[in-house]
Amino acid sequence: MTSMWRRFLALLMVFGLLTAACGSDSDSSSSSGSESGSSSSAEEEAPAEEEPVEEFKIGLVTDTGKVDDKAFNQSAWEGALAGAAQIEGATTDYIETEESKDYANNIQLFLDDGASVIITVGFGLGEATIEAAQANPDVLFIGVDQFQGEAIPNLAGLVFEEAKSGFLAGALAGMLTKTNIVGAVLGTDLVPPVVFFKEGWENGAKYTNPDVQTISTYHPGGLDVAFGDPEWGATTARQALDQGADIIFGAGGATGNGALIEVATEEGALCVGVDWDQWGTVPEAHPCLVTSAMKDIVKGVADLLVAAKAGTLTGGNFLGDVDIAPYHDFESMVTDEMRATIEEVRAGLADGSINPMPE
Amino acid sequence: MSRSLLRTISIPIAAVVFGLVIGAILILTQNASPGTAYKALLVGGAGDSDAVLRTLQKATPLIFGGLAVAFAFKAGMFNIGGQGQLLVGAVFAAGVGFGIDGLPLVIHLPVALLAGGIAGAVWGGIAGTLKATTGAHEVIVTIMLNFVAGNLTDWLAANPWKDNSGSNIVARTPLVEDSAVIPTFGAVPVGFLLAVITAITCWMILERTTFGFEVKSVGNNRHAADYAGIRVGRIMALTMAVAGLLAGLGGAVESLGVDGRFEAGVNVGLGFEGITIALLARANPLGVVPAALLVGLMEAGAARMQFKAGVAPELIDVIQALILFFVAAPIILRWVLRMRHDASEQLQLGAGWGRS
Repeated sequence: MTSMWRRFLALLMVFGLLTAACGSDSDSSSSSGSESGSSSSAEEEAPAEEEPVEEFKIGLVTDTGKVDDKAFNQSAWEGALAGAAQIEGATTDYIETEESKDYANNIQLFLDDGASVIITVGFGLGEATIEAAQANPDVLFIGVDQFQGEAIPNLAGLVFEEAKSGFLAGALAGMLTKTNIVGAVLGTDLVPPVVFFKEGWENGAKYTNPDVQTISTYHPGGLDVAFGDPEWGATTARQALDQGADIIFGAGGATGNGALIEVATEEGALCVGVDWDQWGTVPEAHPCLVTSAMKDIVKGVADLLVAAKAGTLTGGNFLGDVDIAPYHDFESMVTDEMRATIEEVRAGLADGSINPMPE
Repeated sequence: MSRSLLRTISIPIAAVVFGLVIGAILILTQNASPGTAYKALLVGGAGDSDAVLRTLQKATPLIFGGLAVAFAFKAGMFNIGGQGQLLVGAVFAAGVGFGIDGLPLVIHLPVALLAGGIAGAVWGGIAGTLKATTGAHEVIVTIMLNFVAGNLTDWLAANPWKDNSGSNIVARTPLVEDSAVIPTFGAVPVGFLLAVITAITCWMILERTTFGFEVKSVGNNRHAADYAGIRVGRIMALTMAVAGLLAGLGGAVESLGVDGRFEAGVNVGLGFEGITIALLARANPLGVVPAALLVGLMEAGAARMQFKAGVAPELIDVIQALILFFVAAPIILRWVLRMRHDASEQLQLGAGWGRS
C-alpha cells in the first residue's frame, strides 16, 4: 500500500509541476481562439494602454456549433473578422456554445470582459440576447437570424428573407430541369428559415415552369439530428433522383450537404446549395453545384459592426442581402435568356411585384 | 477512512489524475498553458456563487441519469434508455407544470415531479417487461425507445403543447406555473438536494431492503436467484421501472428547475451522460454524486476555459473519455501504481450479455 501511495504522490507532484511551470504566463491577455481564423486576434492583442486608439472588443457567441462549421457560425465569424478589419483597435474573440442551456452564461463571459459589441449567432440565442441587451444598455448586441418583435435600442437583429433567396434558386431550377421534376432535401420544419427556403424554392420553380413537379422532404427527426444527418440527406436525395428529379436543393446543414454530395455522383444531375456559396465549402459537390441560395451573413455582420463603431447602430431589424451564388463551372449552361429571366425575377422580388410566399 | 473505502476510491481518483495529466499535455500541444486552462476551468466551475450554481445545475441531471444506469447495473442490466426516459419525464413534468394552475406549490410541484417520474418509469418499465416476458434484450429495446421518446416529445412540444404566446415559433411548451418551479436557495438549487437524497435512498434500497437484495441477487447470478425462489422476471421489470423513474425525475427537475419549460432539442445527450457517470462511480449510487459533480464542474467551466486559455471546449470531452478509459481498464492504473489485484473491485456490468 505505501509503495502505491508513494507513486501516487509522485504522479501528483509531476502534475503540479507541469501545471505550475506553464501557469506563469497568466491569463490576463491570452484570449485568442484556438482554431481556424483566429490569427487576426493574435495580431491585434497589443496592450490597450500603448495604443492611442480606444480598444473595441468584439465578442461572438456561436449557436451549438463551431466557428469552422463551413456554414452559419463560420459565416458570422468571418463577418466579425471582416468588420474588425475595418475598425481601428478592434479585437475579436469567440466562444463556442456546447449546450443551448449555456447561451446566457457565454454572453455573460463577454460582458464581464468588457466587450463593446456582442454578436450572437442563430435564432436559438434570441431570448438570451434580448435579456442581456435589456440588462446591459451600454453594450451593443447584434443578433444574427433573430427577428426583433419589439425594438430594443442596443440590439440589432440581422434577418434575411430566405423565401426570396429560395425563389431565385427555384426560378433557375425551373428553367434548368429537363424532367420537369425538382427535389429539395431539407432540415427540419421546426426552424422557420428552412420552411421559407423551401416555400420560396417551390414557388420560384413554378414561376418559371408552371408544369414543374416538386418533391420536397423535411428531415423527420428533432432539432438534435435534423441538421447533422448526411446519410439521411444522401438517401433522400437518391430517392428524389430515382423519382425523376434532375435538380436538387440541399438545405439543412450537414444533412443538406449529404444530399449535394450524393447528387454529385449522378451523371447529369444538378444541385443547389444553401446559406452561402457552397462552391467553396463543399468541394465534393462541384460536379453538380450550379448555384447556392445565399444570405450574406458575412457582409451583414461586417456592416453592422462598422455601424456600431460609428455610433449609428440602432435597434430593430436589419435586412441582410439575399441572392444566388455565381454559377462557377455551369456558366455556359445558364443561357442569356435564363439570365434575363433571373434579372427580371430579382427586380420583381426587390420591388415587391413578385411575392415569394403567397399564402 | 477505512482501508476498503480507500481501495474503492483509489482507482477513480487515479483515473481523474491521469486524465488531467494527459489533458495537460494535449493543452500544451495546442500552444496553450495547462495552468491557465485548468485555473479558468476551476474558476468557471467553482469560482463564485454563480459558478457553483452552474456546476450544481449541470450535476443534477447527471446524478439522476447516473443512478438510472447504476441501479439497472445492479440487476445485471444495461440501461441505455436514460435519454428517452429523461425526455418523457421532462415533457410530462412540464405538461403538468403549465397545464394546471391554481394549486399551491406544496401540491403542484410534487405532482409535476411525480408525473415526470411516472412517465420515465413507464418508459423504462416497457423495456423491463419485454425483457422479463419475451427475453427481448434491454439494450436493443431501450435504444429504440430513445428514438420513440425523442420524436414523441418533439411532437408534443411542436403541436398540442406548443407555446403559442407572442411571436414564438420554437417547438417548446409554455413556461410552467410559478407553483411548479423548483426554487433555488442562494447557489444551491433544490433539485440538486433532491438528487443527493435520491442517491442516498437508492443506496439504502440496494443495501438495506429485501428488494435491493433481490435485485443484486438477480445481477450476480440469475439462475441461482431463480433457484432461491426470487421471481426474476418481476425483479427485472421492476428494476427497469425504477431506473426509468430515476431518469424521469432527472428530466422533471431539468424542466421545472433549470429550463422552466420543455423545449425540443435542449436536453440532448443528458441521459447518455448518465452512462459515463455510472461507470465512473463504478455503479455505486453514492459514488454517482461526486462523479456527477466532477463532470458537472468540467462542463460548467469549459466555456471560460476556451475564453481565457483558448482551449477548445472539446478537450473536456477528451478528458472525460480518458478518465472513463482508465476506470474501465483499471489494469493500467494498477500496473502503474503497483496495486494488487482485488476481485472485490471487479465491476459487474450487464450480466445479461450472451444470454437470453
